[in-house]
Amino acid sequence: MAVKKRKNELTFLERIYIVEIIKGLSLTLKNMFKPKFTMKYPEEKFIPPASYRGRPVLVMDESGEERCVACGLCSRVCPALAIEVQAGETTREKERYPEKFEINMLRCIFCGLCEEVCPEEAILMSKDYELAFDRRSDALYGKDKLLVPISQLKDRIEFLRGYK
Amino acid sequence: MPKLVIDGKEIEFKQGQTIIQAAKDNGITIPHFCWHESLSVSGNCRVCLVEIEKMPKLAIACSTTAADGMVVHTASEKALGARNAVMEFLLINHPLDCPICDEAGECKLQDYAYSHSVGESRFVEEKNHKDKRVPLGPYVMFDGDRCISCSRCIRFCDEIAKDPELTFVKRGDRVTIVTFPGEELDNPYSLNVTDICPVGALTNRDFRFKARVWDMSANKTICQGCSRGCNIELWVRNNQVLRITPRLNEEVNSFWMCDHGRINTFKFINAEDRVDGPQLRKEGALAKVEWEEAYNFAASELKKFSKNEIAFIGSPFATLEDNYLFAKFASSLGSKNIDFIRHTDSSFEDDILRKEDLTPNSLGAEAVGIKPGKDGLNLEGIIKGIKEKKIKALYLIEDDIVAAYPELEEYLANLDLLIVHATNFNKTTNYADVIFPAATYAEKNGTVVNFQGRVQRLKPAVSTVETDRAIDGMSMSRLDKFGTQYDKWAQGAKYDAKSTWKIIAALSNVLGNKVKFNLAEEVFNEISKSINSFSGLDYDVIGELGAKSKLQTSEKIVNA
Amino acid sequence: MNIWEILIFTIIKILIVLTVMLLTVSYLVYFERRVSAWAQNRLGPNRVGWEGVLQPFADVLKLLLKEDIVPNVANKPIHTLAPVIALFVAFTTYAVIPFGPTVTIFGYSVPLVVADINMGVLYVLALTSLGVYAITFAGWSSGSKYSLLGGIRSSAQMISYEISMGFSVGGVLLLAGSLRPEAIVESQYGWMWNAIVQPIGFITFLVSAFAETNRLPFDLPEAEPELVGGYHTEYSSMKFAGFFLAEYANMIIASAMIVTLYLGGWRFPYLENFGLSSTMFAIISVLTFCIKVAALLFFFIWVRWSLPRFRYDQLMNLGWKVMFPLSLVNIVWVAILIMVFKF
Repeated sequence: MAVKKRKNELTFLERIYIVEIIKGLSLTLKNMFKPKFTMKYPEEKFIPPASYRGRPVLVMDESGEERCVACGLCSRVCPALAIEVQAGETTREKERYPEKFEINMLRCIFCGLCEEVCPEEAILMSKDYELAFDRRSDALYGKDKLLVPISQLKDRIEFLRGYK
Repeated sequence: MPKLVIDGKEIEFKQGQTIIQAAKDNGITIPHFCWHESLSVSGNCRVCLVEIEKMPKLAIACSTTAADGMVVHTASEKALGARNAVMEFLLINHPLDCPICDEAGECKLQDYAYSHSVGESRFVEEKNHKDKRVPLGPYVMFDGDRCISCSRCIRFCDEIAKDPELTFVKRGDRVTIVTFPGEELDNPYSLNVTDICPVGALTNRDFRFKARVWDMSANKTICQGCSRGCNIELWVRNNQVLRITPRLNEEVNSFWMCDHGRINTFKFINAEDRVDGPQLRKEGALAKVEWEEAYNFAASELKKFSKNEIAFIGSPFATLEDNYLFAKFASSLGSKNIDFIRHTDSSFEDDILRKEDLTPNSLGAEAVGIKPGKDGLNLEGIIKGIKEKKIKALYLIEDDIVAAYPELEEYLANLDLLIVHATNFNKTTNYADVIFPAATYAEKNGTVVNFQGRVQRLKPAVSTVETDRAIDGMSMSRLDKFGTQYDKWAQGAKYDAKSTWKIIAALSNVLGNKVKFNLAEEVFNEISKSINSFSGLDYDVIGELGAKSKLQTSEKIVNA
Repeated sequence: MNIWEILIFTIIKILIVLTVMLLTVSYLVYFERRVSAWAQNRLGPNRVGWEGVLQPFADVLKLLLKEDIVPNVANKPIHTLAPVIALFVAFTTYAVIPFGPTVTIFGYSVPLVVADINMGVLYVLALTSLGVYAITFAGWSSGSKYSLLGGIRSSAQMISYEISMGFSVGGVLLLAGSLRPEAIVESQYGWMWNAIVQPIGFITFLVSAFAETNRLPFDLPEAEPELVGGYHTEYSSMKFAGFFLAEYANMIIASAMIVTLYLGGWRFPYLENFGLSSTMFAIISVLTFCIKVAALLFFFIWVRWSLPRFRYDQLMNLGWKVMFPLSLVNIVWVAILIMVFKF
């Protein structure tokens, strides 16, 4: 580890501060005229990269059905206990489907563990970050809000496959 | 006693035991799929292969008889290599559908795949496909892909249920399980195969996809299906009982329980018709009232009748504590007209587990005083009294007299007062003037006495308005521990119901007889002090497996 | 002018000064937030009104609506008194600072100073040293260790720097030969600003002014990393706002004092020679005064967002071992100016 040696002896000029103070002041003055980094949020929207973990969504495949088989692993792994799954039986080839799939967005901490654990690539972290609610009940996202067509999630899937 | 050495530990065993049994008795578990303590040895899964010194080849621990001086290695390089190979072999055709499979979480194959397998498959070919979703019987669903052909279910039907219904057909990797032609897996013990199936090939159709096992809490209690009193676990999620599984008790039910107990004894707990809060009949219709109002009304009404005009009917479904205080309550009012309704069905009994007496506690109810006093009326007398209008008030707990005696229905309206403790609305509550909501067996502490005279503990598994999972010591799942009132899973229905003994105690206090019990345990302590049959017993002595009382039993104790 | 006329003009002047002060103070807060944002490549408050100009009103409204929390262990009367003292001192000090020449309105000759008293500079020094009571009271009465430490630091710091401040002023007084602020402004004719004539005194006064107003790099009484909020840790709502306003009012006074004592006051160099009407002269003079003060205020803010805070021992070292001797040197220098160069 490189230890930066601290200068013990200051020169006379440094010791009378004045020059150093002027240097410091000029630095801040210069910065006052530089371009600003602030994003004017509601007018300008942040477009997240594929690696961004926004709200979790369920994948709706081309046939309009969810990929999820309600195995409950996301619910089990969720450190905040945000996910509640109730399985049901279908006649589809995968005999199990989520009768109810609910994410409590007040509890969700956007850790992405549900996405990581999912054996069916059925739950993904989307780019949606605008999550404000008027009441608690609005924060319970059911299947109606969670299901998103797979066409909107292509770049996230690609990103994940690059790392798996 | 002969001794052998397993993994450097010297253990004693009984002559004739197999290595796996000897090891198990000493707390060493040798991996196994097809071996089961209560079933014959089949030796077909090969996962229990162990290395025995001076033996040229590995031997399966489940069918090798232990011998004095044997030196067994379960974790030597050779044994581990063999076990890994067996696991790989078993997993070749096992589908990777744990996400869909109900067994996940309590699956032996899944567990061993973690603990005894290399974690990767070299098998790139297409897996075998067999029949999926085959209903073998009314309660059991079969999935051929998942079956590892251990034959436990076949042996169970042959040896325990004594009703051979299942068999292997075909050979090699196409082997699968079917019922015999024209047969169904419909013996009264069929659901036990779902417990012993080490994989998810046989699953409970009643519980199918209801919940993940890790989301539920398992609560130890006693089955209410008959007077056998099988030791069971209630699996609860969201304050709802979702399934029942048997719990090992060699004295009572061994590993097993019947389908009746498993399917029919818990659904009323979360049924729509639960009585929620005390009900009073006002202008002909039942209305929910506060507890105080119900107590005061019942007490003032009871005072209006002379001791010969009141009859009391206890319940073989209620606990010892409930019946004891009920009998005490009856005698405090001077009444000797007390009895309970016997529910028997001789066709139900078999020589495995099921008993003729369909109630869990008839022996206990009688023992704590639910029997007519001197010159008092018994059940027949009470019924006759109601018909002849000599009995004007009836106090009935946790039973449905109309269902048992349908001819009584037209006479109940004649009663001046009918007080009922009921868990659910039923035919009798239609005529009740006061209904106290009784806690079900899954919601209260208490004890029941089975046909052997064995006292066994009921423990709460479902919380009511007045109980709390954590405070009342119920088993807690992860969801129970971390849920808040805003989480839906913590908002399963809670009913405003109380144990019958609590209601009786409160009513006694309103009537001026001070009855001070805070816990069911205190009531039981008084029972054990005052009734000789139960002397020396308390909740600690009873424990999880129950304890013998001194009650005389007419029947011989038959071990399962 | 009879006594009533004097009274009416004085009251009008007080009202004008007070209004201007309050507005300036609230906009100073806004200005400080914008400047700090710019220095950090941010935008700062720009949402309330056009470019955020209504932000100060939003802030005041917020503070008004906050709950006033007084700790249980606090000495309640003194706890309440402290911000009042702070505000009182901050606003009354302004009475003696001239912000323009004497003007003639409706035939009356009115000096543009609330109270033209002959010991104005002493009055300012006296009142600003009263300001230390506000902070010490606040620190002591809150019943909190952070507040108490903040209060103690503040009194030590103020007393230390008041000495060099006083001696720096000494140089100005020697040159002007009067304690009247008007006279001091008069003495700085043309470019003969005291800042140019006695630069050492100017620097020591400037530094002391920073210390007296508790501004960075000398804001130890409220050093957040160590003392949470220092003396005002236990203040909320409008009491907190009192201290907040007092701090910014003190900044304005310090700037106005520096302008008056060292930067020629309301004087625009050689403006008399341009032959303007007296009204124009007055307007330009007042504007000059305002611009000078504004520039100094900007300097105060600029310094705050550029320099780190001093350590306590460094602060004391600087005060006693550097500033105090330097201010003495300044007096000697002024004495030499007067005796040798016959200023």
